[in-house]
This record gives sequence, structure tokens and C-alpha cells, in this order.
Amino acid sequence: MSAELTVLALAGLLQAVQYVLMAVPANLELGPGYTAGPRDDAPPRVLSARTGRLVRALDNHFEALILFTLAVVVVTLSNQATALTAALAWLYLAARVLYIPAYAFGWRPWRSVIWLVGFGSSILIIIAALRGALGGA
Amino acid sequence: MLNDELSILALYGLYVAITLVLQATGAMQQLGMGYLLSSRDEGRTASGMAARLERALWNSVSAMALFAPAVLILEARGAFSDATLMAAQVFLIARVIYVPTYAFGVIGVRSLAWAAGFFATIILYLLAL
Repeated sequence: MSAELTVLALAGLLQAVQYVLMAVPANLELGPGYTAGPRDDAPPRVLSARTGRLVRALDNHFEALILFTLAVVVVTLSNQATALTAALAWLYLAARVLYIPAYAFGWRPWRSVIWLVGFGSSILIIIAALRGALGGA
Repeated sequence: MLNDELSILALYGLYVAITLVLQATGAMQQLGMGYLLSSRDEGRTASGMAARLERALWNSVSAMALFAPAVLILEARGAFSDATLMAAQVFLIARVIYVPTYAFGVIGVRSLAWAAGFFATIILYLLAL
């Protein structure tokens, strides 16, 4: 398996980890009576600041993961993967792992800097894939 | 670059990234850089064009989540054809139109663009079967 695909698999697992990090405190705070129900009403109480941050960190990785998946798909299927795109993929994963404590502990402005590293990595992989299409077409 | 499905997928990824930058710019103006860099514990919400860009971005991301696997399946099956290329082109053009029509509140055209993108994606899945 290429480095890009390995990272993609690990990023999928990271999403599962983020789910657990968010769901455990959220269930403790809201109670399974609410979370297992149909949630027709607003939650009985507001989530703590830390848990709210973990919810937003999870939601943010949904968006980031969709874009990163696209990047890995196009670079892999067009056979444009290089040592550079492999390094960018690992950089993406490192940034997304760091993003979680950065959000949970309110590292400001580092959370945003870390986000930008992950976002930039995905974009650069897409551009690397398109560069081949430009030259080849 | 519009003559193969993978490049279209890559271009759409870049377009979503541009949409994100536009959304972030709008949010920065309304909510302030300080708030965006903070942990956003008190949930401030944008309004007007900034809010429309936020909704357009979210819609673009969900369209990407549906479109990317269709291209992946077609590639894996070696099922690209003139029809899949046209559907992918329609998708990209429709989604490019979608964002500004949402941002400027062009009612009707936005929904038509959304529907064109959605149905183009569905056609890709049907052609992949």
C-alpha cells in the first residue's frame, strides 16, 4: 500500500478515535436517556466547553477528511504519487492529530496554524496531481 | 484539464477550497479574527452573505462526499466513457454556478444548479453499476 493510502486508512481510524473522544464525555454530560433517544428536544443541559470543542474538532475533521480523500484518490489513480505527495500526506496526518489537543486545550492561534498545515497539504497534493494532467494533456 | 474525470475531481477539490477561503473571509469580517482563532466556546453565528457562503460551503462538501466515490468506482471498474465525462463536466459547471448564486441569493438558479449537480452524480453511479 502506498504511503498516501496508508495515511488515508489511518485518517479514517483517527476519525473513529475522535468520535470516541467526543461521545464519551457527551454521553456522561447529557446522559444516555437523552443521547439514545430521538433527540426531538434541545439537550437538557449545555455541553462543557471542553466537550463542545471536541464536537467541533470532530465536525472539522469530517470536512478535512473529505477533501484529503479526494486528494489521495486523484493523486493515486492518476499515478502522480511521489515522495513529495507521500510526505504531504504524513504532514496532513500529523497536523490532524495535533489539531485535537490544540482545540481541546485552546492553543491559540496554533490550532488555526495547525489547521492550515492540514488544509495546505491536501491542496498541494491536488495541485501535484493536476500538474501531471496539465503536462500530459 | 476538463477532458478527464480525475482532473475534474481535482479541480472540484480546489473549487471547494476557494469556497472555504471566501467563507472564512466573510466570517472574519463579521465575527472577527480574534473570535475565529479562539476556541469558539460561545457560538457566534454569521448572517447575510457570510452565512450563505457557510451554507454553500457545507453543501459543496457534501456534494464532494457523494461525487468522489462515484469517480473512484468508475476508475476502478475502467468504466469511463463519453457519457461519464459529460456527466462529470455537468457536475463541475453546475457546482461552480451554485456557490455565487447562493452567495448573491439568486433564487431558482441556485436550486437548478444544485439539481443538475445532484442528478449528474446519480447518473455517474448508474453508469458505474
